[in-house]
Formats: sequence, C-alpha cells, structure tokens
Amino acid sequence: MSHISYEEWEPVIGLEIHAQLKTRSKIFARSPNRFGDEPNTNIEVVDTGQPGALPVLNKEAVEIAVRFGCAVNAQIAEFSKFDRKSYFYPDSPRNFQITQFDMPIVIGGEVIADVEGKSKTFAIHHAHLEDDAGMLKHFSDFAGVDYNRAGVPLLEIVSEPCMSSPADATAFATTLKAIMEYLDVSDCNMEEGSMRIDTNVSVRPKGDKTLRNKVEIKNLNSFSYMEMGIESEIRRQIRAYTERPHEDPNVVVPSSTVRLDLDKKETILMRSKEEARDYRYFPEPDLPPIILTKEYIEKVKRDLPELPHERFKRYISDLKLTEYNASILVNDKQLSDYYEEALKVCKNASALCNWVTVEFVGRFKDSGTPLYKSGILPEHIAALVSFIDSKKITGRIAKEVADIMAKTPGRDPEIIIKENPNFQAVHDTSAIEPFVDEVLGANQQSIEDFRNGKDKAFNFLVGQVMKLSKGKASPDVVKELIVKKIS
Amino acid sequence: MTKLDKETLIDLTKLCRINCSEEELETLLSNLQSILGYIDQMEEVDTEGVPVCNHVSEEMESVTREDEPDQSLDRKTFLDNSPSHVGGMIRVPTVIKF
Amino acid sequence: MYRKSALQLHDAFVKGELTASEITSYYLQRIQTLDSDLESFINVFSDRAMAKAEELDVKRATGAPVGKLAGIPIAIKDNIQIKGEVTTCGSKFLSNYVAPFDATAVRLIEEQDGLVIGKTNMDEFAMGSSTEHSAYQTTRNPWNLSCAPGGSSGGSAAAVGGRLAPIALGSDTGGSIRQPAAFTGTVGFKPTYGRVSRHGLVAFGSSLDQIGPFANSVKDIALMMEVMGRPCDFDATNVKKTPENYLDHLETSIQGKTVGVPWGFLDELSDGAQKVFEEALDVLKKTGVKLVEIKLTKLKYSIPIYYILSTAEASTNLARFDGIRFGKRSESAKNLDEIYDLSREEGFGPEVKQRILLGTFVLSSGFQDAYYKKAQKIRTLMIQEYKKAFEICDVIAMPVTPSPAFEIAGIRDPLEMYLQDLYTVGANLAGLPAISVPSGKNGNDLPHGLQFLGPQMSDGKVMHFAYQFEKALNLTGFIPPLFDKESAV
Repeated sequence: MSHISYEEWEPVIGLEIHAQLKTRSKIFARSPNRFGDEPNTNIEVVDTGQPGALPVLNKEAVEIAVRFGCAVNAQIAEFSKFDRKSYFYPDSPRNFQITQFDMPIVIGGEVIADVEGKSKTFAIHHAHLEDDAGMLKHFSDFAGVDYNRAGVPLLEIVSEPCMSSPADATAFATTLKAIMEYLDVSDCNMEEGSMRIDTNVSVRPKGDKTLRNKVEIKNLNSFSYMEMGIESEIRRQIRAYTERPHEDPNVVVPSSTVRLDLDKKETILMRSKEEARDYRYFPEPDLPPIILTKEYIEKVKRDLPELPHERFKRYISDLKLTEYNASILVNDKQLSDYYEEALKVCKNASALCNWVTVEFVGRFKDSGTPLYKSGILPEHIAALVSFIDSKKITGRIAKEVADIMAKTPGRDPEIIIKENPNFQAVHDTSAIEPFVDEVLGANQQSIEDFRNGKDKAFNFLVGQVMKLSKGKASPDVVKELIVKKIS
Repeated sequence: MTKLDKETLIDLTKLCRINCSEEELETLLSNLQSILGYIDQMEEVDTEGVPVCNHVSEEMESVTREDEPDQSLDRKTFLDNSPSHVGGMIRVPTVIKF
Repeated sequence: MYRKSALQLHDAFVKGELTASEITSYYLQRIQTLDSDLESFINVFSDRAMAKAEELDVKRATGAPVGKLAGIPIAIKDNIQIKGEVTTCGSKFLSNYVAPFDATAVRLIEEQDGLVIGKTNMDEFAMGSSTEHSAYQTTRNPWNLSCAPGGSSGGSAAAVGGRLAPIALGSDTGGSIRQPAAFTGTVGFKPTYGRVSRHGLVAFGSSLDQIGPFANSVKDIALMMEVMGRPCDFDATNVKKTPENYLDHLETSIQGKTVGVPWGFLDELSDGAQKVFEEALDVLKKTGVKLVEIKLTKLKYSIPIYYILSTAEASTNLARFDGIRFGKRSESAKNLDEIYDLSREEGFGPEVKQRILLGTFVLSSGFQDAYYKKAQKIRTLMIQEYKKAFEICDVIAMPVTPSPAFEIAGIRDPLEMYLQDLYTVGANLAGLPAISVPSGKNGNDLPHGLQFLGPQMSDGKVMHFAYQFEKALNLTGFIPPLFDKESAV
C-alpha cells in the first residue's frame, strides 16, 4: 500500500446536537416529560398517535429555544414554522416527526471555546425545535416500544462545517453543553440520552475551498466515542481518496451514514445515498406558525442568567482564579454552583478552589460520585478552609479532617476537630521548640544548603518538624523558630 | 407533465408501506394516470410570485399552551387497543438495531 | 314524532310533554325496524342511550336546569371519537379500536344533554362521495333505495333524511356533508374552517376537515352550531373567538342584500340541473335579495388542487395506521416490515390505497414542486378570488352537485366520482362556511339542494340566508315516502 500522507488533507467536521429540553410536559402533548418511569406511563393521546389527537405547542419549549438563541448571539426568527417529516419506524407514534425544516426558530449564532489553550470561534448554522421519538427496547427475539420519550421536546443545534479536528468537536460540544446547563434548559446527559450527537465528516486537500461529500456518524454517546468515530472516519476517507486518486471523489466517498463499531473501533456503513430516505417534508397543517414579537425576544435576552463565559470572566477578574482553575469550575456548572455556595461562607477564593477541585473532588474520584452529590455540605468545606486561615488547624491536619469528612459525609469539621484534640494546631513555642532542635540537630547538611541559598532545604526542615509534631505544629511558628535558630 | 410509470408506482408503495398485488397495481396505475392527466391542467395557471397557502384560516394566531403536565391516557387503556404487548410495552418482532 | 324538529323535541321534553326515555326508545325502535333498508348505522347504542335518557328524565324531574340539546337523539359519524365506543371510520383496520377519548364536539353535545344514539356509516376514512367505500355496508338513499345517499357522511345523511334521528354529525373535507345533504333532502352545514374543534375527528385533510351537523331544518342546524362552534384548547387550528347565538339572527329580513352567482363556472351543469338551480334562484329572489354575477375563474381547478392537497395530507395522517399500536395487525406478518406492508394492505380498501399513493406521489422528491407546491399557490389565488367576490356580495349561491343522487354502483370511473365534488371543494379550500339546504325534488322524486357560502366567520350569515330561503320555499311534508310512516312495532 502506498504511503498515505494524512497531513496533506484537512478534515471538515460539523455537528448536529440534539438536546432534550427540561420542560414539565412534552412539546406537543400534555403528558409529563420525565425520565426513568415505568414504560408507557407518561403518555396521552397526542404522543401515542391516537387518531383525532392534535398537537398543541408548549410555550416553554419556544422560550427555551429563544433563550438558547440569545445566549449564542443568534438571530431569533420572528416567524418560523413546523413541518412533517415522514418515515416509518415503531418508535414513531405517527410515522412522521414534527420538525422545522426550512424556517427554524434560531438562525446563525456562535460559540467561543478553548481548544488546547487557544480560543476558537465556532459558527452555528441554525437551531430548531422538534419532537423526540419513543424508545425501542431489544430483547431476545422481540422488541418492546415505550412511548414515554415520544414527544419530548428536542432542540436540534446544527453547526457550520467549521471544525477541523476531534478536539474542536469536543470543545464545541463541551461549551454548548455548558451553555445549556447554565440556561438550565437541558440535562445534557449523554449516557441518559438527553444529549445526542451526530457528526458529519468530510476531508479535502489542504487549502482547497470546496466541500466534498460528507459522511454522517450517528448515535455517538460520549465525547470520547465521538472523537474515536471522527478520527476513524477521517482516516478512512483519506485512505480511500489516496488509494483511488483518479476516480471521481463523489464515487470514492459517497454521501452516507455510518455508525461506530465499538469493538472494531471503526466506522461501518449504515445507509448509502441511494438508499437515502425521501422524507417528503411539507408544512404541518395542524400547527400555526410561531410568531414572536421584538419585545418578547428582548425580554428573554434581558432575563438571561449568567453564561459560562461570563462566569469565567468573573472568576478571573473578581476572584482572581487562574484560567486553568476557572475553566475547571466553569465547565462543570454543578461543581461551580457548589463552589459558589461555599464562597458565601469563606472568601478565600483560591484556597477554596483548591480544596474543592483538588482535595475533595480527588477524594471522590474512584467512587465516581460527583462532589456535589456526596453529601458533604459546601459550608463545611468553607469552614475547613477558614480554620486553616485562622490557624486553628494546620494544612496537614486539614487533610486528615478532609479524609474523615469524605468517609462520613455531612459531619461538621468543627465537631470533628473538637472530638480530636490531636487535630488542634499547636502554637505554643515551648511545645514546638524541642522538635525544631531535634530536626536541626539531625540535618546539618540541610542547614548548610539553606545558608548557601537552597530554599528547598528550608522547606525540607519545616516538613521534618511537621512530621515530628504529627502535623499539629503551626507552620508559621515552626518557620519562625527555624529562622531564629539558624541565623 | 410526468406520466406515472409502473416502477415509480412500485417505489411509491414502498414509500408509503402498502403491499399491493399485481392486479391492484394494474388498476391503480390506470386510475392514477387518469387522475394525474386531469390534474395536469393546473399547468395553465400562472403562479409566478404567488405565495403558498399553508394555513387557510384568517383567524389563525400563534397558539401555544402552558407547560403544565396532565396525564390523560392510562397504560391499560392504551395497551388494550394494541395487537400485542409485553411488560407494559407494545410488542413488535425484532428490529434491526442501528 | 318523527316529523318533529330537534327544537320541537327539546321543547316537548322541557315542557314535560315527552320524556327523554320516550323519545329515545321511539327513535331506537325506528332504527331497529327501518334501518335494515337504509343501513345507515354501523353501531347503535341502545343501552347507553337509554341509560342517559333515564338520567336526563331524573334530572328534569328534580327541577335542575337542562342543556340546550336535552331530549334530542343525535347520531355521530363513525370517524368521530366517543370514549369507550368503537370508532371504525368505515374501515376494517379499526374494527376493534376503542376510542380512548371523546371528541370535543361530542363532549359539548353531552354537556348540553344531547343523547348520542349511535355511529353512522361512511366511506372509509372519509374518502368517497357515495358511502360505497365503507368496508362494512352500503348505505342507501331514503328517497330511493337503489340510489346512493352521497358521501362520505352518507350514513348520517340517510339517518336524518329517513327520520331515524333528528340530528346527526358528519364531517366535510371536500363536500362530505353538503353533497349527501343535497342527495337526501336534508340540511347539511360545513362551518368556517376552525370554528368547530377537530379534536377527536379522525383526520383526513387537516387543512380542509370540519365537523358539521345534519338536520331537517336550518334552525336545528343553528342550534347545533351554537353548541359546537366554540374555542377548544386541544386543537391549535381552532378559532379562538367567542361562540355566537346563531338562533337569534335568523328571522330578520334579507331584503336588499346581495347574492353572488358564479354563472361562468356553471357550464358543467346538465340541463336538468340548470333548471333546478334557476328555479331555486327564483324562490330566493322572493326574499328580496339582489343577484349579481361574480367571477370565480380559478374554481375549475378546484378538483385538481383538492385531490393534491387532501391526499398529500391524508397520506401522512393515515401513516399512523400501521398495525403497531392499535388496529388490526396482519396475522400473516412474520417480521416488522410485513407488519407495516401487510396490515396496511389488508386493512385499507382500494380507494384509500389509491389516495394514499397519490398523496405520497405529490409530496415525493422531484414532484413536490410541480404538484404540491403548485396546488398550494393556486389555493392562494382561489382564496383571493373569493375575497374579491365577497366585496360585491354578502353570500354566494351555487348548486351543490352537478346532478342528483346516482345509482349505487352507477359511477365506476374514479374521475367521474371525484367530479361530484366540483361545487363543494371550493369552500373547503378557502375555509368558508357553506350550507346545503333542500330546494325541492326533481321528476324522479330525487331531492336537490341549494348551496350558500359566505366569507370566513360568517357562519351566522350563511345560516340566515339559508333560513330565509327555506322559509320562502316553504317545503311541507318533504319526507321520503318510504320513511314517512311510523315504524311497525
């Protein structure tokens, strides 16, 4: 096989993200919009396709779409409409979906995301409302259909084909996910299916401005699978074009739909263009168009909550967090909200950030439980940090207290410290001095090193004293004593 | 305008999922060709610049409803009408998974 | 009793002259003995109706106020959902489908103490103009049992014509109330599109369908429209305007008002039909109205665009009948594909299949612009033409059908059958209220009707003109001879 020069090609990637909206009832039916209930218990006549049952639009779904559009600086269509999209499948109660084909509610828009340290702007083509299908559950030799999910509102967000790497795609999707979490419009949970991503991939010779046929990868249910699928598909297409350089590109890579085979870690053909479905879109006669006033749109814009990039700015400028720390927090809204709860009690933003995102999150990494679901109260972490600041305990002891808090979530650190007199910091110079003397006596070399300018040696000495005192000695007093004795 | 041929008719039966016997197809083809022939006179009408009519009612406003959940179909009633159900779900033969 | 109008029955009930049980058992008896000739009912609710009648009698006895329709038996076309009862739509597909909810129109009727007495026969899924396409039975015309009653609401029309029920509900997508009304000598009304909620009406052509009443007098029609013509939260195309008191506005004179006649469009009328129409206009002139000529040049395209738009919508509306969630699933189906293909093959009759295929064709890729979109544009032009016409007239008068009731199995050519709707589809395409009111009978003792149409939301005006025409015509004893008798006990 001839050598394949991957670097001579540039990938062109677009994403279609389906987000289930957090409304209380479905988009066209009045049944509850809830996940996880017994099959067919959240249904009514509209979402089971009963003859004579008609769709009526949920105003909250409209408002959410407008909110999203405002948050991504898109144009909100003052006039948009619904269309029928026909196809037969058991999870479809009517064998047509109600969607927005040519006049969507949100047009354009952009998302700014951080990709490997660089800030990139990704353009959105449009976003539209549609209804979700039910669920098929597969068994040995039959399948069961559950219509609980049928009719749940979906916001489909279609990007421009403006991404050029799997990392771009993940950055775009992560930022979009964060925006939707901040707007509180979707759970964006890929495992539960409240966020689903289809990816469109094509490649072209570097520098070429034309677009070749795109291949759609469907149903990727995690960011890592998405990256895997994109990577695999890019390579497959480059190989194909390289191996058949004199043929019509349209024939070499036809428009098609593939899925990611997780075992082979490859993309496999599902549908070729010839088998492409004719959806026969036409305007939905049962629904009037959506007509929005400028006043309505302005009001939604004014009422937007704080968005991720705004919170990021605030963390940098007001709280003086580093960009790295700020983005860790901002990208996980629940964690960030948790942090802000703690911030109400303790104002030491950066120390608190460290304790929340490193110390405590770290202690729950293996269990897989997010910190904000662990049962540990944010006020308690805040209290712990203030105890360190007020020198009630040392940093080292605080870690032990943290261990206990992690094992018995909900326990007040103040009580934990009270119950363990050993935890309380010792400031008494006379109590600490013997430890200092012992360490200094045993580490002449370190004293020499420090006098020669090696600051690390000093820290080593401090550390040794802390060890001897089982972490209880106040580090400030230790440092003072050492300095006094060495000089 | 286009004359409907047998192949297109067969494609249509696949699109709308209705199996038709050979006899039925013959009758349908002849009827539909005759109807489409009659419909062809639409060509005479100049519709340059004319907007489509999606909704006929002059009174139609943008209608929406409050986001209030209201369950109005209990599972038993739903399943009682079904040809086959199992475990609270509508039962169908195995479907090719995507 | 069968000669009484619905209003007279209601009056007699309220006054205590007749009990609801008496009225109901009377009509049930009539149906039992006389419907074997007519076959207008698919399902008769003897127990349910009698139970409701007894309840109503108790209610009246306690002195509690009773609804506007109290004491009136009402038949319902079998494509309108009544909770707990089977809704067949005249199709084998739904022979075992039990309605899980009430149509709004039915709920409104029962709230006003109307007595729902049974479901009537119809062309399958409302596709037809003769009720010959019902999968169950062929309904006959009460005026001549070898003739069709028209369609698709043939059962309702025949039942009211034969006095088996004073009122019936039908549905009208291209003339399915008005044409059978003309054929059976009854009054049939199609409301302004959206005036009556479509919640619970099994959809055929979503932008064209309306539920409407059949009766033997215009006043009874007005009564039904007062009950049914209201806003409904379950239909987004329904007009959200306050209901009107139609009965209050029938008696005033229409002297000096203008009636438009589209003479240019009426070339297709046979000589006999032409004569009938002109005689009806002569009667109309007695009310003092002026006749003016109006130009409706696009009307001749109404059949082509109707058969494009209605079948397109229907092809998607009927997609839900797939044997998966309800209805008959084919027993020969061995896999999912066969469930779809065979259930729909077995469940649908030939007319339904034909229209679904036509509808699928006009929407399919490559043909949608030339057919569906083109038809939608012509629809706009038609609406504009009607609007223009109404600038110079209050209502339009037209024939209902090109000829009176034809023999059963008399029309074989599908095009010929579709052309039956020539004068009626225009009102559906433009969403206009329209009525067929009897204008007499021809030499063969077959009835014919006169049609009035008005601008959108002028339902009251249309009924008003129809009432004045009815008064001027003063048809007495206009009852089909075969049914102008008490039923044998």
